[in-house]
Amino acid sequence: MKKKTARKNPRVLFWGIFAAAVLAAAAPLLIPAPKEAFPVAAFGRLPVLEGGRVKPLDTFARNSLLIIRGTQTLPLKGRTVPAVKWLMDAMWRPEAADTQPVFLIDDPDVRGLLGLTDKARRFAYWQIEPKRDEIHTQAQHAAMVKSAERSRFQSAVITLDSRLNLYEQIKNTLMISGDGDPAADMAVFAQVVPAALRVVHGGKATAKDRQAVKVLSQLLERYRFLAQAAAFRPLPPPADRPADAWTSIGEAMLKPSAKDGPHPGLADYALMGRAYRGSDPAAFTEALTRFSQWAEQERPGMMSHARAEVLFNSAQPFVSGMALYVAALLAVFAWWGTRRPEAEAAAKALFGAAVLVHTVGLAARIALQGRPPVTNLYSSAVFVGWVSAALGLVAERAHRKGFAIAGGALLGFCTLVIAQHLSASGDTMEMMRAVLDSNFWLATHVVTVTIGYGSTFLGAALGVAWVGRKHLVKDPDPEMTKALVSLTYGVICFSLLFSFVGTTLGGIWADQSWGRFWGWDPKENGALLIVLWNASILHARWAGYIRERGLMVMAVGGGIVTSLSWFGVNMLGIGLHSYGFMAQAFYWLAAFIFSQLLLIWLGLLPARFWEIEDEEEEA
Amino acid sequence: MPPSAAYRNPVLKALSSLWLTLVCMSLLMVLVVACTLLQVPLGTHEAVVRTIHSFIVWWRPEGASFKVPVFPGGALVGLVLLLNLIFAQFLRLELSRRKAGLWIAHLGLALLFVGEFTTGMFQVESQMPIKVGQTSDYSEDYRLMELAVMDRTDPKTDTVTAIPESILRKGGEIKTPSLPFTLRVLHYYPNSVLGMRGAGDPPAEATAGIGPNLSVRPAPRVTQDDEADSAAALVEVDDGGKDLGRYWLSNALGAPQGFTLEGRTWRLALRPRRYYLPYTLTLEQFHHDVYPGTDIPKNFSSLVRLKDPARGEDRDVLIHMNAPLRYAGKTFYQASFGQGDTLSVFQVVQNPGWTIPYISCVLVALGLLLHFWLKLSASFGRSP
Repeated sequence: MKKKTARKNPRVLFWGIFAAAVLAAAAPLLIPAPKEAFPVAAFGRLPVLEGGRVKPLDTFARNSLLIIRGTQTLPLKGRTVPAVKWLMDAMWRPEAADTQPVFLIDDPDVRGLLGLTDKARRFAYWQIEPKRDEIHTQAQHAAMVKSAERSRFQSAVITLDSRLNLYEQIKNTLMISGDGDPAADMAVFAQVVPAALRVVHGGKATAKDRQAVKVLSQLLERYRFLAQAAAFRPLPPPADRPADAWTSIGEAMLKPSAKDGPHPGLADYALMGRAYRGSDPAAFTEALTRFSQWAEQERPGMMSHARAEVLFNSAQPFVSGMALYVAALLAVFAWWGTRRPEAEAAAKALFGAAVLVHTVGLAARIALQGRPPVTNLYSSAVFVGWVSAALGLVAERAHRKGFAIAGGALLGFCTLVIAQHLSASGDTMEMMRAVLDSNFWLATHVVTVTIGYGSTFLGAALGVAWVGRKHLVKDPDPEMTKALVSLTYGVICFSLLFSFVGTTLGGIWADQSWGRFWGWDPKENGALLIVLWNASILHARWAGYIRERGLMVMAVGGGIVTSLSWFGVNMLGIGLHSYGFMAQAFYWLAAFIFSQLLLIWLGLLPARFWEIEDEEEEA
Repeated sequence: MPPSAAYRNPVLKALSSLWLTLVCMSLLMVLVVACTLLQVPLGTHEAVVRTIHSFIVWWRPEGASFKVPVFPGGALVGLVLLLNLIFAQFLRLELSRRKAGLWIAHLGLALLFVGEFTTGMFQVESQMPIKVGQTSDYSEDYRLMELAVMDRTDPKTDTVTAIPESILRKGGEIKTPSLPFTLRVLHYYPNSVLGMRGAGDPPAEATAGIGPNLSVRPAPRVTQDDEADSAAALVEVDDGGKDLGRYWLSNALGAPQGFTLEGRTWRLALRPRRYYLPYTLTLEQFHHDVYPGTDIPKNFSSLVRLKDPARGEDRDVLIHMNAPLRYAGKTFYQASFGQGDTLSVFQVVQNPGWTIPYISCVLVALGLLLHFWLKLSASFGRSP
């Protein structure tokens, strides 16, 4: 009877922890947002066209703030201001937004140029404004230098200039930098056009008409400026126009449709601006609701897509995934330390929940973007982590010792951290450049080769676990060691299959688009190295040149090779596949490689250095 | 030969050993890393030629006239690995169902080597720029030059005698039955800096064309893939002792230069090597699509008219990203564009072995799948 409950308890515990973990991950969706005077969240769900795709204002606001400030929210006077609220301030009340410390400036020389002496890392626009022209001139000079040869100051000043440009574009998207009342301007515009037309068509013009021409030309000048400065296009095309015929405020004012007159969104956006500037939430809500209803009627698909993306943005599945992976890792350690079934249940439940959340996030991205999972470096990090973790989940079912959980959780966490850092460069669902615009090849070559990365990393993590066990565990269970080794062997076989097929598929894609199967491009070479490394491990094992230790140590080496081919080649800054120079990532990569070399060295120490006699040496 | 006999022969034993496989794979890894790193200073083409497409990797000390072999080259390692694969396959690996996966995978791998070898030997790459509305029947290789001697007497057709770069490099006298005069190559620079002659420059070597006004100095060849060499040649023309002038010719100079001899109009030009096609392509339209509101390219596409009277072909073809035109053993890819989207550049590739990697990829994938599946099912079969 007692035995039965003991066996039953962990099961209940498992599902209990699993449910609690999933619920915790869903918390951002379940907890209601703090009350705001203006309907900030509803405004954030409006779709706009920017960067070639339709996205909700929420996404644009988050990405812009991420580029400018490095975060997705703005802490201000003890409150957390959502990105959309910051965007609304920048667009309609720039006099307030200009005082908010959002510009991240780390470079001491750039701070020196601006005469900024505070300890803070982030500065307000008004602090920079006096030297705005100087920044622009310096950035233009720096842009003449090839990107790989720029000094730290030159890179930093270019970055700051582009952040300032983005901010200034935002300020001049819906109205000209908080100047005047857009709704009143529109009314004047409608009034003066007939009078001005009379003058143009040579009718009998009064002095009032001539005055109207003057006013009109000033307004046209302003709308021309808005058309050219806008950061995004807020006005969706009516249902009978092509789906990508979005317009900015300025464009819509300058070219009203002959059939339907001015775009209905123009008046509503202008009224929203007036209400926001005049602190009139009721009027704001009214205009927003009217515009949303119109858009819903004309473009229901775009509206629901934007709502789904906002849901994804606020759920932040990869952030909760990260936390769950850490929790799972700690639980595995507790399980190994205590050998208690409760800890085992917790480890499995937390890891399962983490993989589930990661999978949901990945699936949501695929659905939102309408693309296979890997489209850029950011998504490759998310996918590599998912492959490692999902493989870990499968492998754990074969050998229930916790190694696969530990390896999968560690890699899931690390890759999500990497992804988090990579996302700072802007929209992670950017459009695919011409040659990459092929879902077939993204789904075959890119996915297989990335699965190869993920599983090679899992093999490396298992190798690290083996080295750690050898040094840390006093009395290792030989059965567990055997399980670990055979698991690693299987993972390496899997890696070889996927990295080889992925690499040759890449060659075939290259043959389809450039006419050469293999061009010894750095990225191709990196992929080839992974194949060669995995093949070497297996051949050396089959020939008997290496046994348990050799296999595990070489598996650790697989992590180094993969990291070099994944990130190292991008640092060369040449070749068809390069994404740009990542100076900071370079030091992290170097640190990772150094740590792995250290582990390999630890693994290779002769038997007498081991705390426990090496079975291999005895054999 | 039964496996036991093979082991008695030390050469066969070494050639078929897994030890050799591992050595070759390690060497190959070193070469691949070296090739990648060398691409930064040397450019892709030169780095590949020095490390991968050579039997020996040479190193020339700074300023020295000799060079020392430092490493086996990719071609040598690849060849040994292929031999090793074949020998190991036939001498060591038993022909059984259990090993069927390995047989298939290794066969695919051997094919991949053969494919890469075929490509290296027979692939010809060139480029074909066409302006909208224009027709072209040749492609050009910008890495190789040729000296074109054109007889332009007949306004309808030119008769061209092309002298390849390899002969220009050797220098000296060039006589051919198709030309009624002798050419003498006095200088040939694979890359050069051309400028207007200044007051301080040495006396001009050229005597005719625009050469007397030019200063031409040799320069190291470009390494970046997006740069191009300005080759230059100083050519002397003489008709049995009668001097017809010395010309500076370069692909960086515009119009061909020349002279008239016995009523015939001759023109000389140094230009990228041309490959003439027995059919023509006319560029009807070129489109450069971007994502709305951005300048991110979405697609490049060229609508061309293919005319081949010999085969009775006269049809429109749309060449765009990931969708080349394959015709008569050549493949035309959308490679580049220019001149305000009125010029489309096609990459023209002739590679008789282009299908080999496709087959090889399928074989290796199937072989590995089969092998790992057999092993996995065996290991699961053993343990309950």
